[in-house]
Amino acid sequence: MEIIKLTVNEKEYQVIVKPHDTLAKVLREKIHLTGTKIGCEQASCGACTVFVDGKAVQSCITPALRVAGSVITTIEGVADQNKLHKLQDKFVEKGAIQCGYCTPGMIMTSLDFLEENPTPTTTEIREALSGNLCRCTGYVKIIDAVEAYVKDEKAEAKEASKFNMVGKGRPYIEAKKKVQGAADYADDIQTKNALFTKFVRSTHAHAKINKIDTSKAEAFPGVRAVLTGEELPVKFGVLPISQDERAMAISKTRYIGEIVVAIAADTEEIATEACKLIRIDYTPIRPFFDMKEACEDVGEDEQIHSHCKFNNNIHKKAELRFGDQQDGLTKAAHKLKVDFDFQGINHGFTEPHAATASWDENGLTIITATQVPHYLHRYLAKVLEVPMNQVRVIKPTVGGGFGGKSDPFPHEMIIAHLSRKLGQPVKMRFNREEVFLTNHGRHPTTMSMEMGVSDDGIFEVLDADIIIDGGAYGSFGVVTSYYNGVLLQAPYKIDNFGFRTRRVYTNKPQCGAMRGHGAVNSRYAVETIIDRLAVEIGMDPCEMRLKNFLDEKSLTVGQYRITSNGSVESLKAVMERSQWAEKFKKLPEGHGIGVACGFFISGSALPIHWNEYPQSVVHLKVDLDGRVLVTSGASDIGQGSDTMLAIIVAEVLGLSLENIFVVAADTTLTPIDLGSYSSRVTFMAGNAAKQAAEKLKEKVLDAVAKLHDVDKTELNFQNEKVFSNDGKIDLTWTEAIENATRKVGALNTSGAYNSPKLGGDFKGAGAGLSPSYSFGAVITEVKVDVATGHVKVVDIWGAHDAGKALNPLAVEGQLEGSWHMGLGQAVSEQMKFRDGLLVNGNLVDYKIPTSKDTPPIHTNIIETIDPEGPFGAKECGEGAIHPVIPAVANAIYDAVGVRVTSLPINSEEVLKEIKKKQLEPVN
Amino acid sequence: MIAEKTYLIPTSASEAIEMAKANLGAFKYLAGGTDVMVNRFQGNEESPCLIDISKLDELKGIAKDEAFLKIGALEILEELKFNEDLKASFPMLIEAALTVGAPLLRKTATIGGNVLCENRCLFYNQSEWWREAVGYCLKCDGDICIATQGKNACFSELVSDTAPALIAMDAEIEIVDVDGVQRVPLESIYTGDGVAPRNLSATAILTAIYLPLNREFKTAFYKLRERESLEFTSLTTAVAIDKNGKLKIALSGVDPKPVVVEGSVSDDKASLIKQAIKGSRAVDNDMYSRKYRREMIGVYLNRSFDNLKI
Repeated sequence: MEIIKLTVNEKEYQVIVKPHDTLAKVLREKIHLTGTKIGCEQASCGACTVFVDGKAVQSCITPALRVAGSVITTIEGVADQNKLHKLQDKFVEKGAIQCGYCTPGMIMTSLDFLEENPTPTTTEIREALSGNLCRCTGYVKIIDAVEAYVKDEKAEAKEASKFNMVGKGRPYIEAKKKVQGAADYADDIQTKNALFTKFVRSTHAHAKINKIDTSKAEAFPGVRAVLTGEELPVKFGVLPISQDERAMAISKTRYIGEIVVAIAADTEEIATEACKLIRIDYTPIRPFFDMKEACEDVGEDEQIHSHCKFNNNIHKKAELRFGDQQDGLTKAAHKLKVDFDFQGINHGFTEPHAATASWDENGLTIITATQVPHYLHRYLAKVLEVPMNQVRVIKPTVGGGFGGKSDPFPHEMIIAHLSRKLGQPVKMRFNREEVFLTNHGRHPTTMSMEMGVSDDGIFEVLDADIIIDGGAYGSFGVVTSYYNGVLLQAPYKIDNFGFRTRRVYTNKPQCGAMRGHGAVNSRYAVETIIDRLAVEIGMDPCEMRLKNFLDEKSLTVGQYRITSNGSVESLKAVMERSQWAEKFKKLPEGHGIGVACGFFISGSALPIHWNEYPQSVVHLKVDLDGRVLVTSGASDIGQGSDTMLAIIVAEVLGLSLENIFVVAADTTLTPIDLGSYSSRVTFMAGNAAKQAAEKLKEKVLDAVAKLHDVDKTELNFQNEKVFSNDGKIDLTWTEAIENATRKVGALNTSGAYNSPKLGGDFKGAGAGLSPSYSFGAVITEVKVDVATGHVKVVDIWGAHDAGKALNPLAVEGQLEGSWHMGLGQAVSEQMKFRDGLLVNGNLVDYKIPTSKDTPPIHTNIIETIDPEGPFGAKECGEGAIHPVIPAVANAIYDAVGVRVTSLPINSEEVLKEIKKKQLEPVN
Repeated sequence: MIAEKTYLIPTSASEAIEMAKANLGAFKYLAGGTDVMVNRFQGNEESPCLIDISKLDELKGIAKDEAFLKIGALEILEELKFNEDLKASFPMLIEAALTVGAPLLRKTATIGGNVLCENRCLFYNQSEWWREAVGYCLKCDGDICIATQGKNACFSELVSDTAPALIAMDAEIEIVDVDGVQRVPLESIYTGDGVAPRNLSATAILTAIYLPLNREFKTAFYKLRERESLEFTSLTTAVAIDKNGKLKIALSGVDPKPVVVEGSVSDDKASLIKQAIKGSRAVDNDMYSRKYRREMIGVYLNRSFDNLKI
């Protein structure tokens, strides 16, 4: 132990540090400046960047003793008291902040670089920020913000946008907090007297656990509890039909990385050391890593789960057929069957999972990085065997999810139990390797897809046979199985359509929901086959798509109700913006352009739990201060749902955001919303908020009309006023509320959203049913190095029908983030396993595109005003990822004439195909 | 119960060496620390004593020294681009330095640290738990090489980007240790064994790098990586020709040591490439396959020769 002096943000500290402590640890844990974030601990994400003596360093690899006596500036020291630095202002104004977890590092890195180069080019900005990973924004708005700062751009006039909220781009309501490092993420929350938990993970893919020797760990000073699976035997899983997971392995392990022992100790270091003292004796069982092998019958006791229906490792078979596929195939003038192979990918959110659990007279409170407080609430109660009224789940600020925080997790069960057992708060946080091992990412997939078209390019038939690799447990897998197939019945009209999906268990970390859930890989297959068929019949692929789009107000073959449909507008927008007609087939060798389309659900019409409870409920309360309290279970994970709720309520009541206060995602304080997944929040929570606001408006109307003896239809709500057409009544909002609360007190209203009854009455009809669907198109331009096979995506034009952009800045941010994430899956990201062991569970070898790898993204919002969406809005968070990946593949074909049928499209594969083609005889 | 650790900050090289002597077998020098600290996080590096040499001013500065340009080992990678002598005579070193990691990292990382950065392998640069799960490899006291599934040799790759650039330009290095100062060609310090890739003595500190002036190098440099930033190399090729037509190729990323091929501009290029590929013992321990990386040696060298118009 040594005492060092640090001057941090102009304040002097004396802190006791251990010799090898990092500066990041000291800043966060000793000085409690938690604006400095930890994303990787390996200098590969930039979230921990601070200044030491005026120079940017990554504090996660800076030894604290090296900087003893130094002057340090963290994100908390960037603003001048409450006046934001101008760069911070620009980050807020330009919408550069979504989840906000990378923001402090981005600001610090930018400030450092701008000191050196005050007038950078865009290329120089991309270069400078290329050590700071962002998973939300595609860097578009971050670069916008830096450029605006450099140009000292004046903020756009805001007067016009103060009221009439919907449709005006605005920063998130919490953006200022995030840009100053003041927002509390799960690991930032300091809890008195908290113990720390670490996990011992299985080193075997499939093995019987014979014995766990915990004695040495238990005797280790500072260890408070050593937990093994027997104490938490109750199974859980996000879907009621897949209750196949336990908090910890009992009797056998099913993947390398599964939690077998958990240790709670006084400090993280003690828990880590104690974990090394655990001895586990295993007897290996035959492991299964291959999807096809998992479909075959297995020997006695070799099944990964004994509940599989037959003697194999198939978890779920989903199959639906519409029309007559045989007939379609016979009649189709041109048909093509192609096999595909896709690697799994991970969400790559910047904030690793973290949580703190504590118990008091009200039972359990857990603060955790989750997208699904309600499901976690249910399963904590189930696993801990307590009533739901003894469980409270609080979602703090969350640093991105993308589906990776949308399951109840073992670590949440474990710390909740440990805290109950020890009578002390217990916390945990994952390192990046553990995030990858926990996974729940996109399923590795193998599929065979066949399509047929007529001579004039009309789609006649589509058939798919799909296997998805679920890993060791169920997660959302049953839904994923269906989505791989059912979400092919749009955006094109295809009368003869069918698929079979088998989801298999393998001895790998489980897969689940990830942005674009279930349909991303099969969309790649369809869109690249369409491109091939267009070549075969000599038709422009855009024209072919335009010929086949479903109409608005129509039904798909599987009885999806299509309401608004912006497919045509989306495709035409990107064709125009990209100058498609001038470029397609006309660019020089090695340079190409490609197109693809897609669609997605705006929430599932059928909830996971089959009950009559609405999909979302929002409560409003207003009292004499006039401020409307919005309470909602909806989980803002960086996508901006808190702001969305505020905008809707403000719009209905004619208020500014200063009169709205959002409390969200606290299962005791807020009414249930099912969670942030399946792109449901704007549509469902938005509608619930709108209904609640309309009811509140009605209450105020009634009261004011009665008190002033005026007809309700004469009254208007605008500009924080309630006034009559003739101007005789002219109340401020607070006066109106004073009127309305007389004798009754604070006003409360509740709004709810229930999906209409939709769909057919066949088995599986519910899969993919949604009250509304989004549509979109992407065109990308690529350059391929024909000698190395390296693909550089040089431009992305995207368009997405979001119904109505309630907050265009946020919608653009969602779209740009989707396209960036798709770019990663297209060319660089994969989870690489060897014998069930993930070999690239870090942010160096798992290759999320940096700012330098991300091309200019040209964003087009298409508005079709959905008849049932709140103010016409529908989803924009996920669907946009679908078209970008096949658009890259199709552009590669235009560039070099080769097709790659696997993802990611790595250089090696492209080169192999280029060589193959060079050997082909020229016709 | 948790082992005692120390962090020492010497102010001179001789003091650093004394500290090293006192902690023999239990210490690690730390310059920028960008490599060492990451390896420590992963448990690849566990020395209880860290000797922070970043404050040794004698290891800083870039200046002409007779027929050489002397570059202090603590010079910061990102700052090399500001040096006029380097820009004029050795732009390939700047080019190489600017491909290391990401700009943020390069503001801390030093040239000496990059030259001496640890060899890497997909099956070694992992957490302690991971290496236990895979069965420890040769480089961490195991019995076999995991990457090759059984060979009795370690093929962890040299991943320095600056080392091949320096070697191609005949750089020498100055080493100080308990036995005094010595100056040797950079390429002479490599053993070819991935477990202990360099033959430097336990207390040795790389103090300076010397590049020969007046050779009028023309150079070509390439780095194979999936992303344009934040990457260790999967293949770095550096080619330099001097005013007398001497040609030198140095590669990293494909062998535990740099692969060096020397010749002249008039040599048969195909034969030079063949030698380079033959000298590379690349194995499947990288996100790119062995086959692809070997193939790219030819592509990059051909490209280099084209650029150099030879």
